[in-house]
Amino acid sequence: MKKILLMGNPNVGKSVFFNRLTGANVIESNYPGTTVDYAKGYMKGDSEDFEIIDVPGTFSLESKDKAEEVAVKMLEEEKGALVICVIDASKIERGLYLALEIIERGYPVVLALNMWDVAEDKNIQIDIEKLKSILNIPVVPTIAISGKGFKEVVLSLKKTASVRVNEITERVGEIK
Amino acid sequence: MEKKLSVMNYEEEGRVKSIEQDLKNKVAGMGIRVGKNLKMITKHPLKGPIVVEVDGSYTSLALSVADRIIMEVKR
Repeated sequence: MKKILLMGNPNVGKSVFFNRLTGANVIESNYPGTTVDYAKGYMKGDSEDFEIIDVPGTFSLESKDKAEEVAVKMLEEEKGALVICVIDASKIERGLYLALEIIERGYPVVLALNMWDVAEDKNIQIDIEKLKSILNIPVVPTIAISGKGFKEVVLSLKKTASVRVNEITERVGEIK
Repeated sequence: MEKKLSVMNYEEEGRVKSIEQDLKNKVAGMGIRVGKNLKMITKHPLKGPIVVEVDGSYTSLALSVADRIIMEVKR
């Protein structure tokens, strides 16, 4: 069974994502660091089933504490896994930092711009089409607590593939 | 004027001027890099962590980390 890792900064809604995708009931809270260990669940896709792993939040792949260590170790152990990188759309820069690190290690990534409603409230505008064409991976705006965008995330899973970071750098260069 | 991030006052704003080399990647994941504007929000007592605003969101840093980030602040 194909594995999916849910990764992202702390406190972006990975566990809410996990519960929604799997129907499980892991503890969610509104402060960072709730998930220090991992949870596993299963999801039915449209053509295949997936095992989903809820990974503790991490800012980067250079671990600074126990929870981050768990996150990095899990990523390294699951070489063939897909990654859904959940980022807080209102704090996009630090989210993209992690997303790029994961892409750099060769994992196929689906980028979920979660808390889309919060970003809208803060008047943050994100050009999704441009982000998609630069990164060349599926980018989906989501609101985990209401379920917006989940169908698209699941459908995107089979469209993603690993991307070379230097190609992304080249495409960013073209924009300037 | 230059000062360490750790000694900035409440509400004081500044631009990141330099970060010690081995710390750069660590704080980059939190959205802090050279050229970013930061605002001091809270300093916890007893050498506790500080909270800064970066890109409209709050991030906390250990005081020992803030000690190694040099800021350019307006007088």
